[in-house]
Amino acid sequence: MTVRSRPLSPHLQIYRWTITMAMSIVHRATGIANYAGMALLVLWLAAAAWGQEPLNLVNDIYGSWFGQLVLFGFTWSLIHHMLGGIRHFIWDFIIGMEPGQREMLAWANLVLSIVLTLLVWTIFVWMA
Amino acid sequence: MMREQIITRDMVADPKSAYGNKKASTRHFITQRLTGAINIVFIGFLAYIVLRLAGQDRPDMVATLGNGWLGLPLAALVAVAAVHMRNGMRDVLEDYFAGSLYRLLMLLNTLFCILVAVAGVAALLKLVFWG
Repeated sequence: MTVRSRPLSPHLQIYRWTITMAMSIVHRATGIANYAGMALLVLWLAAAAWGQEPLNLVNDIYGSWFGQLVLFGFTWSLIHHMLGGIRHFIWDFIIGMEPGQREMLAWANLVLSIVLTLLVWTIFVWMA
Repeated sequence: MMREQIITRDMVADPKSAYGNKKASTRHFITQRLTGAINIVFIGFLAYIVLRLAGQDRPDMVATLGNGWLGLPLAALVAVAAVHMRNGMRDVLEDYFAGSLYRLLMLLNTLFCILVAVAGVAALLKLVFWG
């Protein structure tokens, strides 16, 4: 006799993933990441105000490979969240809500965020 | 208080039921749009400052951020960003928590945002006025 497993409570996983849903979740996630990331910015400014030694420490940590990785992610997170916010401004004017349009906006949000992040890092970091 | 209220079947069925604080929620909506728009300027400032100053020594930081035309607007923008942070985190907390736990987390949220704003503004004022 086969025993069927107990039914699971349906949650997010029962829905088919759509790009608008994914970008909505990412908007919230990047918002939380930016919330934490602001501490990194303030820490840098505070170290600069404090003195050369604390600033050296912060520069060493932020300049390490891990620090650079976090700052790269923070850059993408800020840009993605900003573009997501602009998308909400567009929707506030009841533009871009039709099927197809909203998916296009969501894809544009994702693609532009990656392009802009790479552009910022190419110009400001890798070529500087 | 309102958050601990149990939503019954009858309340849901009644089209006249209202949920949440209408006035405060409208204010949060407007605040989030307003501070969000200002944050676009903040991102621009940030790009310029990080480009100029990433990894630089204190004299360079003082020379750039110590300029009041740069340091003072940046201080205001950090404060505005802190308001946006608090409001955004409120959105998240409202979705997953209620009652006294919500109020406790909201208090921690407020404290963190005040800390970010005060530390950021104080650091920039120090750089502008005292080097």
